[in-house]
Amino acid sequence: MFDKKSYTLYKFHKHLNQSFQNKRELLECALPVLRNLFKLDRAYFFDWQQERALLSLRMMCKKEYCMDKQEDISVIGEPAFLKQLLQHGVAETTDLGYPALYALIKWQRPSMELRDGEVHTYMQEKVGVIRLERFRKSRVFTPQEKDLIKSLAQEISHNLRNTEIDQTKNQRLNVSTALNDLSTIFASSLRLNDGLELILKGVKKYFRFDRVRLYLTDAYGRKIKSVLGVDVSGEVMHGDVSALGEQESVLLKEVFSSSVTYRSTRSVFYIPLKVQRNKVGFLAFDNILSRRPIGFLDFISLQQFASQMALSIDNTRLFERVQELSNYDELTKLPVRRYFNEKMAEEIYRAKRFNLTLSLMIMDIDWFKQINDTYGHQIGDWALQEVSKVVRSCLRQTDTPCRFGGDEIVIMLPRTNSDEAKLIAARLQELISAITLPTRYTEDKEVHLSISQGIASFPMDADTSDELFEKADKALYITKQNGRGHYAVYREIADQLDQPDGE
Amino acid sequence: MILWVMPDSGDRSKENYASFISLFKKENPSVDISVRVFTRNVLWRRMFTIKHPTHEEEVPDIIQIPHYWTALLVREGVATNLSELDSSLSLTDCLPALKDHCYQPGTKDIFSYPWWCDMSALHYRADHLKLVTSDPARDLSTWKGFLEICEKLRDTFKDVSGYYPVQNSDWRGSLSMRNALPCVWGKGVDLVSSDFATTAVGTKAFKEGLRSYILLALRNYMPILRERGSLGTMVSGKASMMISRKQGLSTFGARRTTRVRTLPVPATGAQSQAYLSGMNLFINVLSQEKKNALKFIKFCAREDNQKKYTSMIDVFPAFEEPFYKLLASAPQRLVAYGNILSSARTLPNITITGTIMEILKHILAVCATQIVEGRFTQAALDRALDQAAKEIEYLLSIYEG
Repeated sequence: MFDKKSYTLYKFHKHLNQSFQNKRELLECALPVLRNLFKLDRAYFFDWQQERALLSLRMMCKKEYCMDKQEDISVIGEPAFLKQLLQHGVAETTDLGYPALYALIKWQRPSMELRDGEVHTYMQEKVGVIRLERFRKSRVFTPQEKDLIKSLAQEISHNLRNTEIDQTKNQRLNVSTALNDLSTIFASSLRLNDGLELILKGVKKYFRFDRVRLYLTDAYGRKIKSVLGVDVSGEVMHGDVSALGEQESVLLKEVFSSSVTYRSTRSVFYIPLKVQRNKVGFLAFDNILSRRPIGFLDFISLQQFASQMALSIDNTRLFERVQELSNYDELTKLPVRRYFNEKMAEEIYRAKRFNLTLSLMIMDIDWFKQINDTYGHQIGDWALQEVSKVVRSCLRQTDTPCRFGGDEIVIMLPRTNSDEAKLIAARLQELISAITLPTRYTEDKEVHLSISQGIASFPMDADTSDELFEKADKALYITKQNGRGHYAVYREIADQLDQPDGE
Repeated sequence: MILWVMPDSGDRSKENYASFISLFKKENPSVDISVRVFTRNVLWRRMFTIKHPTHEEEVPDIIQIPHYWTALLVREGVATNLSELDSSLSLTDCLPALKDHCYQPGTKDIFSYPWWCDMSALHYRADHLKLVTSDPARDLSTWKGFLEICEKLRDTFKDVSGYYPVQNSDWRGSLSMRNALPCVWGKGVDLVSSDFATTAVGTKAFKEGLRSYILLALRNYMPILRERGSLGTMVSGKASMMISRKQGLSTFGARRTTRVRTLPVPATGAQSQAYLSGMNLFINVLSQEKKNALKFIKFCAREDNQKKYTSMIDVFPAFEEPFYKLLASAPQRLVAYGNILSSARTLPNITITGTIMEILKHILAVCATQIVEGRFTQAALDRALDQAAKEIEYLLSIYEG
């Protein structure tokens, strides 16, 4: 048969034999049971902050309920009390003027730390104290009661350990679910920027940081190219890189030169994004507004996620670079014919759909073959590069130029009629005619470049892409026939094409 | 409906809330209210997580906050725009000093509504002070005079075991930044400049102001980090004075033998300053019961309920009519608090005020431990304040720039 103590312990054990979300829930269940068992007026739970020699009051139980409390009590001047509590697990005090008994609670909670760059899981010892109070002086705690309270405190310790383990498991599960969700979001985003915005919003939401920022750098980690951030309101913001000023190099040095280590007191963390030796950028998380420390589990999880993120960003950049290489001509940095044709088809469709105008200009460098033959291909290439530079710099963002082959450059001018195209042609002529070949190759002769251009416009001259090309080419032909260095619009010179010597 | 509140009346908080809410339930039997009492610390942390609750976290409908958190909650997008919810809602009758703290900064949109307020004052036992001064009002008008009185009181009561000249009103039993504010303001500086661009935290005046308050603990005039229950109180005769924001008058009045008088907090500079702290209520944007929540807020603001609740927890109504009626109800209260009100100040309603208070609270907590361990140095405190100033200016540049 059970004796009274065993029976009480059994009942207490049964009472606590349930799943608690956290320490608070467990104490909300345990303290009222203690209060009833020992007919207490109050029961309290304290966390013991050993490094500061403080007992920090967390919860009070009074009547049928528990309530959060906060009070710090220094135990530095109480060596005898501490000795008794640590040795016997229980200690009495008469300071309060009525019977009060302290019982020690020790439990272990799963913790993680970084050792030599590796994550180690270990059980960390935590210490707490419960205090039981009876307001009537005569109602002192008997030795049997003290013994029973000590055993019940051990039961609470055991339950606290299980609750903390469950809580940690749940936290890890939540974190891995969050990271899984984030990876899915990232993988399903078609554009890098959209994906990054969703990721930052997700990290802010799941990990509940005050701010999350992503700094993208050049491959050497010497220059920040862009900043994307989510602030305390959850809004995505594109940051101003120039606002960093001189801090930029300090920040980059700090992030990339030292390995990021976890410090529990910090509420700001930078995690570098690297793929092998290539630097991609870095993530910055902070809780500087709320002053909440960033948990180690969050830190470690995000560090692992950051490697995935770095790889994805690097891959996307690589893809963009390959696209750039395949879409642009190496020598002139102008789009190639395939890319141009795609754009042209889109613009023709748009022009037809919305009744817009569009002009196409074809240009040749005058006497380009002679330049090549006289001064060599190197000078020919130089001339092409200089002309392309002018083309790239003086066109609008909506215009698309293209190196069509040899010295032939084609320019598509959306929402532009032939009169507006002529203005652009005149500007190009003026700027290109100012280019002179380097005199060291021309025996000090001043050799200027010039161009000839042919223009055709949609819908007046043609209504298909092929027809536009054909008409613009004919206009160029007539310009050349008429002595080069000029431009012509197909409609204005069409009559010359009908003459036999113009064929 | 779930109401998150702070322990307004210490150990009796739950009972007081239950009794007040029963009044609301009588008028609104169909509305069910559950109350959760959290410490300010816990609430502060939760303000940053309630926007994205996990599946195991409950979603509160109404939350009690200190007046200076409104701007932050608006910025976070956590607080409901009460003006949108009810366009007739007005702050016309609210105490003027508390109005700005209910709006989204720069607008007249109400995001939190006043509930009650308190003001810092110095309470003293007339019988104790009579033993050391013939004119308490004169001798306690300056901080220097206050410290001298503390010294004299300690000498006078040196045979009384566990006696301290000043009772610590801080609930944590530590050094309280809120209680230190009048000392800092007395030196002519504030937490942030009027254009919210810089902070005075690292300045000499700020350090001197804070030190004035810390001297109470350093010279052992006021207990810190001691078990509150083990300490004597003014009522029990183990303390003679207390700087508190609560009225205290009803508590002291309950013991007829104890004559307690109230004065402005002794001035560290030219003029005494008082900290006027409002408590507001806001409705969570995620609340599914916004209409009932608004009903409760209006219930709290009603004159009769203002009177009932503030008398329960020993503070002041936040609305003019009940406030002035309360002052006028006792001549002593009218004189004492009339003076104090004229010098009362609030904290600025900007995003980072709560953070600044957290930073300073942490510095004072470290100070308190160092004092108890006998290793406090002014140089270490100054360094911590200099560091804090840099941090605050960075925060200002991010959030108020």
